[in-house]
Parts: sequence; structure tokens; C-alpha cells
Amino acid sequence: MAASQENESDMDFSDNDCYDYNNYYNDDDSDVEHVDPMKVDPEYFEYRCLSEEEVERLLNESVESLSNCLRISPTLAKVLLHGHHWNSNEVIRKYKDNPSQTIIWAKINPPSPQSIMTSNYYTCPVCVTPQHVEKFSHLPCGHKFCKDCWITHFEVQINQGISTSISCMAKDCVVLVPESFVLMHLQHKTNIREKYQHFVFQDYVKSHPELRFCPGPNCPIIVHSREIKAKKSICEQCKTAFCFRCGCDYHAPTDCQVIKKWLIKCADDSETANYISAHTKDCPKCHICIEKNGGCNHMQCYNCKHDFCWMCLGDWKSHGSEYYECSRYRENPNIAHESVHAQAREALTKYLHYYERWENHSKSLKLEEQTLEKLRDRINEKVMSGLGTWIDWQYLFASANLLAKCRYTLQYTYPFAYYMDAGPRKELFEYQQAQLEAEIENLSWKIERAETTDRGDLENQMDIAEKRRTTLLKDFLDV
Amino acid sequence: MAVLPRRIIKETQRLMQEPVPGISAVPDDSNARYFHVIVTGPEDSPFEGGLFKLELFLPEDYPMSAPKVRFITKIYHPNIDRLGRICLDILKDKWSPALQIRTVLLSIQALLSAPNPDDPLANDVAELWKVNEIEAIRNAKEWTRRYAMDN
Repeated sequence: MAASQENESDMDFSDNDCYDYNNYYNDDDSDVEHVDPMKVDPEYFEYRCLSEEEVERLLNESVESLSNCLRISPTLAKVLLHGHHWNSNEVIRKYKDNPSQTIIWAKINPPSPQSIMTSNYYTCPVCVTPQHVEKFSHLPCGHKFCKDCWITHFEVQINQGISTSISCMAKDCVVLVPESFVLMHLQHKTNIREKYQHFVFQDYVKSHPELRFCPGPNCPIIVHSREIKAKKSICEQCKTAFCFRCGCDYHAPTDCQVIKKWLIKCADDSETANYISAHTKDCPKCHICIEKNGGCNHMQCYNCKHDFCWMCLGDWKSHGSEYYECSRYRENPNIAHESVHAQAREALTKYLHYYERWENHSKSLKLEEQTLEKLRDRINEKVMSGLGTWIDWQYLFASANLLAKCRYTLQYTYPFAYYMDAGPRKELFEYQQAQLEAEIENLSWKIERAETTDRGDLENQMDIAEKRRTTLLKDFLDV
Repeated sequence: MAVLPRRIIKETQRLMQEPVPGISAVPDDSNARYFHVIVTGPEDSPFEGGLFKLELFLPEDYPMSAPKVRFITKIYHPNIDRLGRICLDILKDKWSPALQIRTVLLSIQALLSAPNPDDPLANDVAELWKVNEIEAIRNAKEWTRRYAMDN
């Protein structure tokens, strides 16, 4: 029973569990010595799921504390924070070091101030309409434009999705328009104003390393963690599981860059690669890649005109008419090892080896979801016919969930191995991978035959599989 | 047709009264936002002696958005592609509402004098411009003679 409880708490990795976990170890009465949760569980990750309001509060707190600390306006504090990835310490250090230069770098003040014209009437350079100076406004750079032109400028920019990076209208002027300036001009334009605020908020969250939007469709949740690592976060609202650092599907033990490379490779190459593998061979003489585009096995290389047999790649001359009984297949196994084409094919074989396993586990995950559905029906039947209670059968769900979790990790070990350099570390990895693979297949087999498997036996198997998984992650998850 | 903004009227008037040397821009009879432009090839450039036709269109939100400009005459230039589209920063992200039709056309004329093969739009042209400038310039002159003269 202990094993299943442990596994369950592992699976529902919600905020509460983290909290309990901490309490557990901080408990004074406990005689368990303090253990770093990272060492027990390499995937341990503290994070919180926040709503937009909570994030706004969080951002405002940073703005307020910076503005108090440096005695600057909140507007200025916000722009400085946004420009420095919300790193208050860096802003404070730079600002104390050289306040005026910091403000110029943040594109708030111009490198050299402009002379401000002082007449009552002035012609706006954009709409060329002469107007009273009251109708004009300008940023610290002193470039004056009439308020109507500012408003149109903001509307056009905002409709293109631009918000925090809107700059002054003057030619070659880099000064950024602060939020307060935009909002002041758009005070009577509710729609565009709301759009602007929405975009600004998105920009803030995206520039904040401790925040990440939940990638679930239309999900408003934002995950917050002080630990900026490629760890698994699960959205409390839509249950999407994703990597905190890159926002993609969780991918341990593979890291963010490698998984991206792998997924691009799969998207680019797989179709082509499968085709090449199925329909082409290299010419045994000149090693150019040949596509078989007809039924006849008598091939003539378009490059070197060599006649050969598609089946055995032997010279056609020695074939006569009995080529389907091709006996030369094994006699001619090595076709020029060093050739570029042979190497390319070797590379392809290697890629396909990993890709096929990656794909296969992905398919198995989907099939096991169906198994889980069937399991649900069978348990239903059992409970209805008086064979135990709901609680008695929960361990089966726990085992199915654990199986999914283990298989998921196993799937992501393949891109990791593909990009690994050969050597003792890769040997160790592949050994552990094979162990995990074996235990997962055992577990899958036992779950499919759950009713006839002894519960203790199944729980034992769960424990073994999860141990293999954590051992592999402890040794190789490096985030 | 909506009322033409004062800004466009003023710019058009000035283009007519004080034309930029080597550039003519005339609004279309039926659409005051569409200009027929002719730029003469700058002296000491491979385009010298050529007359290059362009079209210039002021979009609805001009001057908040940049004008749309395209070469109609074929031209051999690393920053202009086969469709006549121009790679010029002020027509894209460096656009400022304070810029005008005349400043845009002057920049295009300057681009003819100073091609920039490091920021190419027409890759094959830019490539040749980098590896064999003499031949590239010969091509540009040839195209100028063939497409931008005597019509």
C-alpha cells in the first residue's frame, strides 16, 4: 500500500503536494532527517499556478518596491524592469552606478535632448495641420506631434500587435512610449485601450523568466516558479503538462535545445527518410542513390550504367533468369563501407532506429489510454456485481497512470540517446534505458491482465518500474 | 472615396511645385493615393542613363504606415527582386510617420547608388555582387540598357 500512496502523490504533482512535502520534512516531530527533495525526486519542482490578477499583483509589487528603493516613478520603474527581464537587482546596480545612462539605455530618455520649441502655434509634422501648442504632446525626446496623430499612431501599432515597443514617431528616434503616455492618449478609446493593456501584459509575462503562460488552448493560467528550469509543470486548470523553461511538452531526460532539434528533425526528415529507406538503394558500383520506379529487378544505374539486381545488389550478368531465387544476397553484404552514400544510409539507419522507437512509444501511450478506458468499464462491472468496492480497485488506475508516466519518460529517452556521443556514458544510459524498457513492458503486460495478476505482484512491478525511471533521471536529468 | 487627408494634399502639392531632382511622382487621375513614379539612374552608378518606372501607393493609414513602393521596370540590383519589391529599412520597421514620399524616393535613389549585397532580397544577384562585382555591374548595365532606356 505504501508504494501506491507514494506513487499517487508523485503523479498528482499539485501545489498542495509540494506544500505537504515541505511540511513533512520540516516537521519537528519527525525523526526523518532533512533530505533535499531534489535528491529523492529528480523531477521535484516548486511552482504555483496564478491567475492574471495574481500575476498583475506580483508585477506591481516588483514595480513598487523598485520605485521605492530608487525613489523613481512607478512608470519609470516598470519600463526599467521590463527592459531588464524583471531583474530588480540588476536595475538597482546599474541605476545606482549611472542613473542617466541607465535611462538612456532603457530608451526612456534620448541620447541627446532636443530643443523644445516655445511658440503658441505649431504645425504637426505628421498631419501638417497648424494647431495651438496645447494640442501637442511629446516624450522626453521633445519631438512634438499633435495628440490626434499620437492616437492614430498608437492605434495602427496596437492593431499590429505592438505594445511595449512602440516608439516615438520622429525619424530615427528610439525613445519608447511608456504605458502611461499611451493610456493617457487612449482614455476615450476603450476597445483599443483594452487591447493595448492585454498585449502589454503578455509582453511583461513573456519577458519575465519566472513566469510562463500555460500552453493549453485558451487557458489563462500563468505558472510562476523561482527555479527557472526545464521541469514539469502541470496546469491546475486545464491539466496540460509542459516544460517550464521552453513551454513545450515535457521532455526529460532530453534538454530543451535537443528536443527542439529532434522534433524539427522528425518533422523535416521522417517522411523523406522513410521513403528513401523503403524505395531506394545505393548503386553497388558508384554508390549513387537509386529509386526503384518500376517492377523490374534488373536495374541499370543512370549514373554509371552498371547493371545490377535490385534484390541482391549483385552484378546482373551472373543472374540469368532466376533472379527471384537470388542466392547471392548474403554473399555480398558489404557494399563499400567508406563511401559517402553508404555513410549517409548508415546515418539514416541510425536515425530511423531511434525514430521508430520514439514513434512506437508514442503510439503505445495512445493505445494504453484505450486500455485504461476498458479498465474503467471492467471495474464498473465488477463493482456493480458486488466484487469489491471502488476503493478496492483504485490501485489499478494508479498503476495505469504510473505506466503512462514511465512510458512517457521512456519515449523521451530516445532523442536523448540519439544525440549522445558514443562512450561509456552512453553505454550506461542505454543499459538503464533497456532496463526501464523491460520493466515497463512487464508492467504493461500485468496491467492488461490485471484481474488475474496478484495485486502485490502488480504493486511490486510498479515500484520496480518507477525506481528504474527515477534512477535514470537521477543519473541523466541535468537541468 | 474618402476625403484626402491634408497631409497627402500638402505632400502632393509640394512634389508638383518643387520636384526632387531626378525624380518625378505624379498622382493617378482616378486615385490620388496612387503615384506614377520615374526615377533616373544616379550618375556613376551602373543604372546611369536609365529611367526606372515605379508605382507608389499610400495605404489607408498613411502616414502611420509606410507607403507601398515597387519597381515596374526590370532592374538588376541585390536589394530589389524579380517582382520589383524593394528591401529598404524605412519601408519596413524603420518607417516613421515623419518621413514623406519625397524622402522615401530619395532613399530609393540612394539605394541605386549604393547597393547593399549583405542584406539581399534577390539572392542570386547579391551572391554575384559579392563574388564578382565587375560581372554584376556589367549585368546591371546591360539590364539598364535593355529595360530602362528608349521607352
